[in-house]
Amino acid sequence: MACFCSGRKEDILAFFYPGERTKVTNKPGKRRVVITGYGMITPLGKNTQETFENATKGISGIDYITSFDTRGLPYRIGGQVKESWLEGLEDETAHRFDKFSSRGLRLMRIATMEAVRHAKLDEIEDRERIGVSLGSHGDNPPVKDIMFLQRFYRGDGHWDIKGLLQTGGYSYFQFFRRKPDVGTSILSKLFLCKGSSFSIVSACAAGAQAIGEAYRAIQEGRADVMLAGGCEATLDFSGVIGFVLIRALAEKYATPQKASRPFDRKRSGFVMSEGAGVVILEELEHARSRNIPIQGEVLGYGSSADAYRITDTHPQGEGAVLAMSGALEDASLKPEDIDYINAHGTSTIQNDLVETRAIKRLFGTRAKDIPVSSNKSMLGHSIAAAGAIECILTLLGIRYSIILPTINYEFRDPKCDLDYVPNEARCREVRRALSNAFGFGGQNACLCIGRFEG
Amino acid sequence: MDDSVVITGTGLVCSIGRSGPEVWKAVLSGRHGIQPVTGFETWESGCRYAAVVTGLNPADMGIRPRDARIMDKHSCMLLKCSRDAFITSRLDHAPFAKEDIGFFAGMGMVDYKIEDLVPAIAKSMNEQGDLDYDVFYSGAYREIYPLWPLAMLNNISLCQTAIHLDVRGENVVFSPHADSGAQAIVEGIRSIVEQRSNVVLACGVSENVSPISLARGHLFGVLNTSTNEGELICQPFASGRKGTVLGEGCGVLALEMCSSADKRGIPYSTKITGYGFSCDPGEDNTCASSSAIASGMRIALERAALRPSDIDLIIANGDGTYHADRNEIEAINNVFADCIGNVRVFSSKGSLGHLFAAAPVVDIILGMFIIDQELIPATILEAPTDDSVMFNVVNGRPLEIKVQRIMINCQSYEGQCASLILEDVKTRSRSAVSLL
Repeated sequence: MACFCSGRKEDILAFFYPGERTKVTNKPGKRRVVITGYGMITPLGKNTQETFENATKGISGIDYITSFDTRGLPYRIGGQVKESWLEGLEDETAHRFDKFSSRGLRLMRIATMEAVRHAKLDEIEDRERIGVSLGSHGDNPPVKDIMFLQRFYRGDGHWDIKGLLQTGGYSYFQFFRRKPDVGTSILSKLFLCKGSSFSIVSACAAGAQAIGEAYRAIQEGRADVMLAGGCEATLDFSGVIGFVLIRALAEKYATPQKASRPFDRKRSGFVMSEGAGVVILEELEHARSRNIPIQGEVLGYGSSADAYRITDTHPQGEGAVLAMSGALEDASLKPEDIDYINAHGTSTIQNDLVETRAIKRLFGTRAKDIPVSSNKSMLGHSIAAAGAIECILTLLGIRYSIILPTINYEFRDPKCDLDYVPNEARCREVRRALSNAFGFGGQNACLCIGRFEG
Repeated sequence: MDDSVVITGTGLVCSIGRSGPEVWKAVLSGRHGIQPVTGFETWESGCRYAAVVTGLNPADMGIRPRDARIMDKHSCMLLKCSRDAFITSRLDHAPFAKEDIGFFAGMGMVDYKIEDLVPAIAKSMNEQGDLDYDVFYSGAYREIYPLWPLAMLNNISLCQTAIHLDVRGENVVFSPHADSGAQAIVEGIRSIVEQRSNVVLACGVSENVSPISLARGHLFGVLNTSTNEGELICQPFASGRKGTVLGEGCGVLALEMCSSADKRGIPYSTKITGYGFSCDPGEDNTCASSSAIASGMRIALERAALRPSDIDLIIANGDGTYHADRNEIEAINNVFADCIGNVRVFSSKGSLGHLFAAAPVVDIILGMFIIDQELIPATILEAPTDDSVMFNVVNGRPLEIKVQRIMINCQSYEGQCASLILEDVKTRSRSAVSLL
């Protein structure tokens, strides 16, 4: 097991694939990427501070779904963003984009406004050096639209599109609400970002990959500033029944607030939620030149594919190990440099077990000394937004020396035997942390976040 | 030679061919794949044409029926092309760990298949026409295939292909337009240059042509809905051009440092030396502005340490829409002002339709053939070019001419745009190190 303790990618790969292979190493002299602003809106709060404060108290944002009729569904809970928050926070000038905007994009606009204000982005003159990187999947059609649409389906792939459009009962903007790039385009226009702009659709890894790809864009000099994050608002009929069918959701719980219980022996699935999170990434010297306070630093990013099965993660967590070790290597750090891991921790039997195995494989005997907690215990799983929201919460934990808890940890699972920071936040200095995001289908991402130390 | 990122393998499928040589031969002969849509009913006021890929069967690729259930045409095209690129670059025998093979994709829209839900919903309707959830969940939901939600995920095609090829390295899925294909190529290049991957599969996959995608294109105002018999549907840069047409296709490049390819004994002839991105929706909000397109082109030239006069050919976005072509014309006229009379331009969209995320990858593959065979195909064009065009659109018949450096342009309908530069490996870069 000594090779895993080294944390070096070549040692891990040599273990799995003994024999001659080409060494992969990092290149020196990379531009440093710092975080100068952040924003979020989640079931726990209408902004970052509120979410973090409630999470520190171990409050759950999960409750019965009110946004659509769930009678008869085996699953009736979720993490919803309060509608009243949206009405109070949206910029009047942005309403002209409402007709193009999915709910997820509305959440993203609110989070971005907070981040842009935080980072004083309006002060920057060269807008061609500011880009947008967004993890987003767009909207699902609501129930009433599905009911309406099915009247125009003739069977065997044939639709009466002319009839559908002529009735006027189906807004033509619905055709665009699933487009992932509508979000990046609107954000680019609203916030005057004329640089490199891209949309990422890697399922649950999308938000983290959006931040990772933005980090790379700045490193290589393609941009000086990037708005990066993710949004998700698929807590609706079509989104929920999809996961009900694959039996991925928590269906057994005493109360909604107890349903998301990562690493607990009685966990039974994840809880869907919605939200948005965005960070402002900036090249270090660019940030220094405008005297903007630096909140933290992105030290590294790693990604991998399980290449195992569509429906299951690799049982030994190979993909997760590679993503985490990739982030460490990119950050030029060793496993012993990590003080905290913000787990993907979805509360599914499989993910939590596999992630635990992966952490043990990478960190060896030290694994049990590293606090590992899951924000999803309080926020639920916001799919494309999760990686971005959790990156920000990790950053705040570093800034305030607070490790957020994994709530609802009541029954120990002997197979998940790490320190999950059960139920109460912990005051502890954290210099460097990993934040994991593992997507459906087997795409994995890991961000290494650190305190800015000059 | 400087250590550049070279192309060691390709895979290509579209409406007029299932391989690079086949498509090249068809494009060179002036064929196009734009036909009346027959797979479903179109409507009178909409676009009734598309360039569709037919006959791709998962069973022919050795896919099990259970897996094939959640593989739509996206997945089949990507798997086929990735396999071809894998084999032509001899990655199946390469001494690389699977973790050192990266996989970056630009993926077209994966539309929600409501028809998959309809049987269950129809069974659950009560007499008032409302959905009875109790009926739905007591049995009607069994009409839906359980893995249906996974087929809706935008990233599932990449994941399925990664499983089949056992590719485990760095990966990301961009979406949905042409710039996302360019993004996949560039991220792949960066991954190699920064030594996070030894080799990368960089892919672009189009949308599937469906009632939903046609309706979306129509409502966006970019499709040619003309019904004049015999009229060419997509005529890039033509005066009186009336719009574009959807096409299906996929392109995959295997990318590697040339030193690594030399070590493996893999032949190559082209390298990617420059790229540039920008984003600015034009005033009409249906394409990138001319200043954004020009910016992307200039950044690409600067990165490749080239002057505009060094470019022998531009494979344009040229999609036949009024606004996108107008803005691109203005951008080319502007950036290449000092040598505009010598600028040659080709667009593949009259032949292949608009492939969205696949477009830049397919155009790069066509560019490889152009460089290799010193022939520029004719752009499908019957009408005179727009009055504002100051460059030479190659049309009528192929042009026999040595081409060493090609700029490939692409853009989305949301304002993103990108330019890539493809060079003959025998050219000497002005910069000692092209992309490092």
